[in-house]
Amino acid sequence: MGRTDDHKPASSGALDRLMAASREGDRKAYRQFLAEASRRIRSMLARKVGADSELEDVLQECLIALHTKRHTLDPGRPVGPWMYAIANYKLIDHWRKRGRSPLVLDDDADMDVAADNFAEMDVEGLLDELPEAQAEAIRLTHIEGLTNREASERIGIGHSAMKLRVHRGMLRLKEIVDEKDQ
Amino acid sequence: MTNTDSILDELASEGALPAAGHSLRFVTPLLVALVVCTGIAAAVLDGAFADWESTGPGPISVKWGFSLALVLMAPIALWTLGRPGRKSTWTVAILSIPFLLVLGLLALDLSMNAASFPGETWQQCLTAMAILSPLAFGGAIIAMRALAPTNLKRAGLVAGLFGGGVAMTAYAPFCPERGMLYMAVFYCLPILTMAGLGWLAGPKLLRW
Repeated sequence: MGRTDDHKPASSGALDRLMAASREGDRKAYRQFLAEASRRIRSMLARKVGADSELEDVLQECLIALHTKRHTLDPGRPVGPWMYAIANYKLIDHWRKRGRSPLVLDDDADMDVAADNFAEMDVEGLLDELPEAQAEAIRLTHIEGLTNREASERIGIGHSAMKLRVHRGMLRLKEIVDEKDQ
Repeated sequence: MTNTDSILDELASEGALPAAGHSLRFVTPLLVALVVCTGIAAAVLDGAFADWESTGPGPISVKWGFSLALVLMAPIALWTLGRPGRKSTWTVAILSIPFLLVLGLLALDLSMNAASFPGETWQQCLTAMAILSPLAFGGAIIAMRALAPTNLKRAGLVAGLFGGGVAMTAYAPFCPERGMLYMAVFYCLPILTMAGLGWLAGPKLLRW
């Protein structure tokens, strides 16, 4: 899932040195700079963005923005604050364009996750690894086939709370599946 | 190879050297805004510095002192706001100093005398501010497109202050009115209104 940064982080000055070399015309250093920036921004986004495909979209927007706005980094100033300011801006802009809260509470999206990732798997076994509330929410909506509203009425919680449980449960399931695949 | 990797390759192939002329792309719209607004005022209005002989340089010095402070300081704040990761709080806060000075002078003025208010040309003044401020504001918005503002509301606000400052600079030589109350009501309030509009419109106009 890439939600944790398991790479050894480069030293804080690595980006600065790579950018300085890049600005002297070293394209190989610039490729390295972009790769390192990509890794760091991905790590930041992974804590804030739900779906992986969405994360890649935002990451690519960030990288293009870093490149097209590279003249706004003053020579000699540290790259980190500049880079993260752009990444944060692009993330917020992405959320604004999408017109939703940072969490994706989309029934169809969650169903797609199930179809793509959990086919031919022991779903009940996977559900046992989830907190009971999330497992129950997924059983009701994805196995019994209830809508989020019907499921929320059955167990007596709010509709949004049910959507949130399903969403978090599906994300956790996907993480478990990805961990098993690796 | 993933899409992201291919994007990295593509970007890296262009190199890291920034394209030349971005400073010019920032400064030019600001200068053009100043020249255009001054030109419009000069072309439409008569009687620049008409009361110079009777009142001396005092009134225009106060007006231009205030407006030019905004015209000079706002671009510095915009330049800072357009560079991601730079702290801009103080650069923007300093822009309040001209307004605070006007408030101080207003208190002094009101305690000493009561100049006629609102005078005879306030409608012309408001009209000039209403027409010229958005023009110069537009120049500041175009200038900001050369940079990368990440606080769009704040950048919009400062662009509004620049717009109002330019409008006042252009109109002030044709303004026969005196008194700090007049300046506060018919210059400062329209400028702050333009700044407020900029604050509201910034997120839409400055997205990149």
